[in-house]
Amino acid sequence: MNIAVCIKQVPDVPSIRMDRERMTIIRDGVESVINPLDYVALQAALDLRDRQGGEVVVVTMGPPQSEEALREAVAAGADRAILLTGPAFSGADTLATSHVLAAAISKLDPFPDLVLCGTQTTDSDTAHVGPQMAEELNLPQVCGVNEIHVEEDYLTVKRLSDGFVETLQVSLPALLTVTQELCSVGHLPFGDLEVAFSEREITQWGLKDLELKEEEVGLRGSATQVWKLSAPPPKREGDLVSGSPQILVDHFIRKLEDLSILDEEDGYK
Amino acid sequence: MDTSNDLKGVWVFGDYRNYFQNRVTLQLIAKARDLADKLNTKVIALALGDRVHQWAMEYVAHGVDIVLAAEHPDLKSYQVETYCSVVAPWVEAFQPQIFLAGATSFGREFFPRLAKRLHTGLSADCVALEVDTETGLLLQTTPGFGGELLAEIVTPDHRPQMATVHPGVFQERPHNSEAVGRILYPDVDVVPETRVKLIRSKRQQTRQIKLEEAPVVVVGGRGLGSREQFESLFELAELLEGEVGATRPVIGSGWTEKERLLGQTGKTVKPKLLVSIGASGAVQYTTGILGSETIVAINRDPQAPIFNMADLGLVGDANTLLPLLIEALRKRI
Amino acid sequence: MVGFTESRVSAHHNYLVNDRLTPGFVVGNPNSDNGFFFLADSLLPGQDTPLISTRLVNAKGDTLLELYLNNIAANPAGCTNQSLPRGFRILDSSSEPLLEVLTQDFPMGHLTRIKARLFDEHGDLRIGPLGESIQVQGEAKLILDAPFIFNS
Repeated sequence: MNIAVCIKQVPDVPSIRMDRERMTIIRDGVESVINPLDYVALQAALDLRDRQGGEVVVVTMGPPQSEEALREAVAAGADRAILLTGPAFSGADTLATSHVLAAAISKLDPFPDLVLCGTQTTDSDTAHVGPQMAEELNLPQVCGVNEIHVEEDYLTVKRLSDGFVETLQVSLPALLTVTQELCSVGHLPFGDLEVAFSEREITQWGLKDLELKEEEVGLRGSATQVWKLSAPPPKREGDLVSGSPQILVDHFIRKLEDLSILDEEDGYK
Repeated sequence: MDTSNDLKGVWVFGDYRNYFQNRVTLQLIAKARDLADKLNTKVIALALGDRVHQWAMEYVAHGVDIVLAAEHPDLKSYQVETYCSVVAPWVEAFQPQIFLAGATSFGREFFPRLAKRLHTGLSADCVALEVDTETGLLLQTTPGFGGELLAEIVTPDHRPQMATVHPGVFQERPHNSEAVGRILYPDVDVVPETRVKLIRSKRQQTRQIKLEEAPVVVVGGRGLGSREQFESLFELAELLEGEVGATRPVIGSGWTEKERLLGQTGKTVKPKLLVSIGASGAVQYTTGILGSETIVAINRDPQAPIFNMADLGLVGDANTLLPLLIEALRKRI
Repeated sequence: MVGFTESRVSAHHNYLVNDRLTPGFVVGNPNSDNGFFFLADSLLPGQDTPLISTRLVNAKGDTLLELYLNNIAANPAGCTNQSLPRGFRILDSSSEPLLEVLTQDFPMGHLTRIKARLFDEHGDLRIGPLGESIQVQGEAKLILDAPFIFNS
């Protein structure tokens, strides 16, 4: 079973899953990780490959430093890695991103039986890229998968959707987005990471390799734009109290009394 | 009656599955009414299924001007590609300027595929929607950059301007039994998706965690450090006769069940007292607690954004304070 | 181009006619002295029972039955009005059903379905079965915005 996994390098939200301390080879000052749910997708792909045979190709679109994410994936066991990068690609919304990723997947030979990615990323969180890739590649999609079983020429998958536990049959090729529950993520073998960084080759594709035009990608290929950014304004002007734990506890108790959750004397109202 | 012009208004996708918990369509209709009034246009709701009479009537009662209805056995279960095959031609034919859907599980997998088919822009999980009456641009506010900032997004050149919104962001209008609306039954060419088959669908067993009804909610964040520390919140909540909620990283770490998640992709609560412990205050979390009457926040970092929305902020270590709070409360019973 | 058919939908009660919702409809003229008519009246909020008025005739134009607001007003052909949970059924003298009216209740509204096969005085089928309810043929007002006004 040939599987393509789309991953994204995202700013690090400290996670108990990955111990960044051991990644001393990562050179950049800005901490970046593989989007946690993409890591789950990668693990699932590797498990499927180990059981069914075939190949796992990891693809990412991003700035050159995204190569680190691909090397991690290779160290974890991916067979091939492709970096989609180039100045034209930046500023992309999900419409443009899915277009580039779909173009890359289309170029894979053989065309994958299965395309996997995490349901959403920790930075932009839209959950759009999976479905939008599936649309462009004309693949059936199931989002939020937490169980995968391989049958003769289709998959049986399970997921939670709006309060229903659904069991579905999907014919291949297909695209699935996966959730945390799909599998527990294996730990990265330290030694393999060193090898991944020094020896394995990452394929790099740009605009020309994908046979795309500038106006189809990046900011120009996007339908949405960020008009402005703002920090959420202060909504309440409350008291900010510092001090010894006892002082803090006293303030808390006093607030409970103010709200009549506690009586001024003993017990509750 | 200029129907073709009316249909260019604000569309709302009617998501009625799990109806008694899910009021998001009605909430969006209220917001659509607001946007349509400012744009001097109409609110249109889509009702698709094998029997949609009840929903058509409900949507009209909540302020919809026109219902676009389609009944077909293949529309009985929510299926992304099947629904795209019906809705995309309608959008292309009638050309709405704005199209909204609830960020339900279905909405979050249907709307992106539809937006891609229509080659237009879509923003996800908006916490606010406004319209610029001069340009007709929909200003779509979403949390960005991991939730620390708010991003205002626009779709300048592509139409419709699509957005999903999480349940609880907007408020529905009261049901109006006197309302009468138009209902259109457009031609439908259903192309059922044969590559995905729903084999079984079982209602999820949810434990009765009535977070939305609790007078006091105690929320634990990542700063608590461990599952054991998080679990000590239950005693605090019990002493306050409240319930326990959690932020995304806590759920992600598996310290407690998903039903306790608060925020953009979780529940919205408006208790009398909300105590936030060990959470920094990312926008994705705080949108779920904005309506609380009183917010008390405990965090080690005086710069934590949560203090911008607390009525009382206590700068201290959650793990040191928790046992002291519990002890102090035990003494008062 | 996507074509469409159009109707009206009331928030609190509708009939299902021609596979479409409508607050009320009328075939023929309820204020006439003879001849077929069928009125499914528009309801006001608070009313949850449909109001059916009709004059059923044979091919010669003789009146078989007159219903006024669900009640039998004239009954030359010996029909019976059978009460049903949330509806009623009119049976002819040989106990064959002529007309059945049943209302479904939703949490915030009601929907009425009708079963009937009714001819006018020319022998033309004016109301016949379609799906779960009826279709109307010939001249009719398929949307009543307000309750029908009877002459005295």
